[in-house]
Amino acid sequence: MTNVTLSKLTKEFEGKPDPSVDHIDLEIESGKLTALLGPSGCGKTTTMRMIAGLLRPTSGDIKFDGKSIVSIAPERRGAVMVFQNYLLFPYMTIRENVSFGLKMRGVSKTETRQRVGEMLDLVQLPGLEDRMPKQLSGGQQQRVALARALIVQPKVLLLDEPLSNLDAHLRDEMRELIRRLQGELKITTIFVTHDQEEAAVLSDKIALILRGRLQHFGPPEEYFERPASVEIARFFGGVNFIPGAYDGSVIATSIGKFSAPRSSIASGAGVLTIRPEAVEIGGEGANSVPGRVVSHVYAGRYARFLIDVGGIRIEAVSDPKRVSQIADGDSISLRFDPNEIWVLAQPTEGDGVSLGASEGGNGSVASVSGDE
Amino acid sequence: MRLPTSARLSETTAERLRIAALLAPAVALIVLLFLGGLVSGLLRSLNYFPLIGLDTPNFDAYTAILSDREFLLSFWLTLYISLVSTILSTVLAVAAALLLRAALKGRRVVNVFFSLNLTIPHLVGAVGILYLISQSGLLARAAANLGMIDRPAEFPALVADPLAIGIILTYVWKEVPFIGVIALAILLSVGEDYESVAKSLGAKRWQAFRHVTLPLLAPGVASASFIVFAFTFGAFEIPWLLGRTYPSALPVLAFESYSDVDLGSRPKAMAMAMVIALLSALAIVGYTRLSRRFIRS
Repeated sequence: MTNVTLSKLTKEFEGKPDPSVDHIDLEIESGKLTALLGPSGCGKTTTMRMIAGLLRPTSGDIKFDGKSIVSIAPERRGAVMVFQNYLLFPYMTIRENVSFGLKMRGVSKTETRQRVGEMLDLVQLPGLEDRMPKQLSGGQQQRVALARALIVQPKVLLLDEPLSNLDAHLRDEMRELIRRLQGELKITTIFVTHDQEEAAVLSDKIALILRGRLQHFGPPEEYFERPASVEIARFFGGVNFIPGAYDGSVIATSIGKFSAPRSSIASGAGVLTIRPEAVEIGGEGANSVPGRVVSHVYAGRYARFLIDVGGIRIEAVSDPKRVSQIADGDSISLRFDPNEIWVLAQPTEGDGVSLGASEGGNGSVASVSGDE
Repeated sequence: MRLPTSARLSETTAERLRIAALLAPAVALIVLLFLGGLVSGLLRSLNYFPLIGLDTPNFDAYTAILSDREFLLSFWLTLYISLVSTILSTVLAVAAALLLRAALKGRRVVNVFFSLNLTIPHLVGAVGILYLISQSGLLARAAANLGMIDRPAEFPALVADPLAIGIILTYVWKEVPFIGVIALAILLSVGEDYESVAKSLGAKRWQAFRHVTLPLLAPGVASASFIVFAFTFGAFEIPWLLGRTYPSALPVLAFESYSDVDLGSRPKAMAMAMVIALLSALAIVGYTRLSRRFIRS
C-alpha cells in the first residue's frame, strides 16, 4: 500500500521545444487503480517511465509515501513496469521469466518454485512453467508478464497500454483479470492508455494528460457527465457544442433558449453541450427545437442521425428501429432534457481549441468531427 | 478449391525444378572450384594419384604428420593463435559495442572510424603492424628516442616471437570491428527495453548485463566469433609475415611442404590442408547452428 505523489514533474528532451511532461501535480491514492489517459505523444508513457526510474525528470519530484525516490535506482524503487509488448525474455522458459525478479534477489530455489506456481495459478496459467514464450499466445504472454511483475510484490505496479495489443475478447478477459488481481492484492496501480473507454472501465480515477499537461484528475463519470472543458468533453466523445450566453439557469443560443441548471460556470459566455445519446428525437415541448435530418448511419445496436437545426449540426444517437420511421430530409423535433445539458466555459483563443469543423459564417456550428 | 493430389504434386515438382535450374550456374561454380579442389586435395592426401601409378589409397600421409613433432607443434600454435585472437576480439568487440551504444553524441563518427579498417586487407594491416611494433619499428624507435631503452633493438620482440603477439594483435585489430559491428547492430535492434524490464524487476546493472544483455547478444556474436576462428585457423599471409619460422602456423607449414622440392611431401601438405579444412568446417557448423537459433528467436 503506497501512495504516489508527483509534484511539478517535468521532462524536457533535447531538440524538442516544448516539454514532454510539463509540471504535472498528481496525488495517486494507495491501493487504487489510476489511469493516465491521453492521445499518443501526450507524455503519459514518459511520466510512467519516470515513476519507474527508467527516465530522469528534468525537474520536479516523485514521492512514494512522502519519500522522494527520484535519486533511487530503478531496481530499488519497488515500482515494476509491465511493457506494452510484454518483453518476455525470449531465451528463458516461463518459469525462468516469472522467477527472474526473485533470482535477482537471491530467493531460494524451493521458495521460488512454490511462488512461481502460485503466481501462474493467480493469472490462470497453471502448468505452463516449462514452455518458451514464443509457444504462448499474446494474451498468455501478457499474463506471464503480469505474473513476472507481481511475484516481486511491487509497491507500485505500472502497466503500459496493457490491453492495446490484444483482440477484443481477450481484452475483456484481461480487463477482468487486472481488476480482480488489483482488488485482491491492493497494489497501487497506474496504467497508461489512449482509450477513454478502457480508462473508464478499468480505473478508479483518470488523469487526463494533453500536450504534457494534466487537464483533469477525477473519477470516470466526471469526464462523461460533467467535463471541465470543451477539449475534455471532445476527448470523451462529445460532439455537440453550441455557443451562447448563460445567465445561471438558461442559455440563449442562435437556435433558441434552453433551460440548463447544470453548468461548470456561474454565468457569461458559455457552450451548451449534450451527448448524442441524450438528444431525444421527436421530443416536443419545452427545450425542443425543430430540425431537418441531413443523414443517418445504421450501426446495428444503434442509429446515428445528423440533424440540421438553424444552420447548426446536431448529432443524435437513437434506437436503431427509428431508421425505418425517419428518412433523410424529414422535418423532426429535437428535445434537450435540461438535466442532460451541461454548460461549459467558451474556449479562449489561447487554448487552441475550436468549437467545430465549420467555423465562420453565422457563428459557430456544432461539429461532428473528432468522433470515433 | 482443392486441386487433385497429383496435380498439386506436379506443381510443386515443377516449382522445385525451376528453382534448381535457376541455382544451377552458381552451384556448378561452387562444386567445380570448391568441392573439386577439396576432393582432389583429399585424394592426393590419401596417396591416390593414378597418373603416376599411385592407385591404392592409404593413410600414410596422415600417420606421418601425426607422428611429426613439427606438425604437432604447429597445430597447437595455430590453435593457440586462433583461440586467443577470437576470445580477445570477441570480448573487446562486445565492450566496444556497448560503449558505442551508450555514446549518444558522435556515435556516427566513431562508428565510421570503428568500421574503417574492415576495408583494409589483412596483408596491408600486417605490414602496418610490422612497421609499428617490430624491433626496428616506430614504437621501438620512439622508445629509444625518449630514452626508455638504449637501442631500438632492446624493444621487446613482438614480431616473430614465441607468443605470436604480432599475429594476434593484427587479428584483433582486424576482427574487433567485424564482431563489433554485428554486436552493435544486435544491441540497437533489440533496444534497451529488455534491460529496463530487468532493472524494473530488481536487477542491478551487472545482473542486467549478465542475465539479459549477454544472452541476447550471445548467439549472434558467437556466430561471428566462429567465423573469425575458422578464418584465423586457415589464414596464411599474416603468420607467414609476422610469425616465427619454427614452429610456423599450420597453413604456412602446409604451403612450405607443398612447395618443397621433394614432390613426395605433397601428400603430407595435402593432409595438413585437410586438417585445416576439417577444423574450419567444424567452426562453420557451429556458426550455422547458432545463427539458426538466433534467427528463430
